[in-house]
Amino acid sequence: MSGIEIVQSVDLDGKRRALVLNEDRVGHYPEFREFFVRRFALERNGLSRPGYVRAPSGMTYALVFVGRSGEPFPDGLEIHALVDALEPLNEADVDTDLWAFMRWMIEGVGGPWRVEDLDATGELYQLPFLRPRA
Amino acid sequence: MKAEQGPSQELPARFVHEQWPYRPRFKRVNGWRMHYIDEGTGDPVVLLHGNPAWGFLYRAFVEPLVAAGRRVIVPDMVGFGLSEKPVREQAHTLDGHIANLTGLLRQLDVQNATMVCHDWGGPTGLGFALSNRERVRALVIMSTWAWPLPPAEFHTRIFPWRMMHAPLVGPYLLGRHNALAGRGMYLSVVDRKKFRNTAQSVYESVLPDPGSRLLTWTWPRWIPLDHTARAMQRFEWLERELKKSNFPALLVWGREDEVFDYKTFATRFKELLPHAEGPELVTGRHFLQEDSGAEIAAKINGFLDRLDGKQR
Repeated sequence: MSGIEIVQSVDLDGKRRALVLNEDRVGHYPEFREFFVRRFALERNGLSRPGYVRAPSGMTYALVFVGRSGEPFPDGLEIHALVDALEPLNEADVDTDLWAFMRWMIEGVGGPWRVEDLDATGELYQLPFLRPRA
Repeated sequence: MKAEQGPSQELPARFVHEQWPYRPRFKRVNGWRMHYIDEGTGDPVVLLHGNPAWGFLYRAFVEPLVAAGRRVIVPDMVGFGLSEKPVREQAHTLDGHIANLTGLLRQLDVQNATMVCHDWGGPTGLGFALSNRERVRALVIMSTWAWPLPPAEFHTRIFPWRMMHAPLVGPYLLGRHNALAGRGMYLSVVDRKKFRNTAQSVYESVLPDPGSRLLTWTWPRWIPLDHTARAMQRFEWLERELKKSNFPALLVWGREDEVFDYKTFATRFKELLPHAEGPELVTGRHFLQEDSGAEIAAKINGFLDRLDGKQR
């Protein structure tokens, strides 16, 4: 279980959007773009609204899809944490939430892309919150 | 229009380190601020780094080459080291980086140059050499490639290579966590303890913020994995032109290099450049300059002395 849940309705009152991750080329491997098109009905929704997900910390994140002339949509993706307007981010929560998002994304992309390989890559590069496998 | 300015603008103009006592110099190329050092006098030797390094990789080369009567130019690629660091992936293309190097070396009016090419310093440095032949005298080639497919079996694997720079994973792992300049380089040297004690923090510190590390996951995305790849035609051109060229060349490779293993890659260069000297094998993984810098510098001096008809 990744702990990521798509949410449809978000109360933005008193919140600000804090950019936590930016991807300029979400279609570098086209199956990643296709995953987001599928999960957020982007062929129908286009740029009309962000996607929203709730992460294990309980924080909600807005996915802002970016279009670029001449490229399939979406070309880019910004992930914004929705935080209390005047409060700083809890960076540790953001870090583990984003990792949960990666696992959810890789699981959804599927095919040769496996969560086990993502975990092994995170372990190889010693992400501080991952323990090496026995 | 130029991409917006990133956190690199806050870097000190002068990098002070006991292992890098050289005067920083800057030129504006293609709208970007490009850092380089320029030491000594004589025929120039241009030392070119790749991902995620910068000129510091060549710190053991500068003094012996200068002492042998050579001019040593060490540029930092735009996006690395003390050069400006664009914060949009679309700012980086292989042709753009070749043009950046060309802009710098033409401003310096480099003539009779020896191009020392490593990693992405290979496709960019060879790209310069093959499009500015009248300015180039010789090539030194280390742990790189210059043909379309496949770069190495390693680059086709999902774990760890393709996963590391996959959409969103790249900005997370190599951006937020600086995985390539830290752990990645550490894994790609032989003497890891020495590297950790003397160099790792230097490579990490010039990429201080996630936005400043963008090129660390952008370059891997420019390695062609199939015929639809963006750089396919440029690599086909590199291979074709290199095969037609007759530059004197020296191949130097790390015995322990697992990414660009010498049996595959040095052999392929030897097929393209049958007149090349080497491959001279030294202790080293991909970042062989870290393990055998002084030894490689001596080999370059010896190679250039032989071209000059000198004996040492």
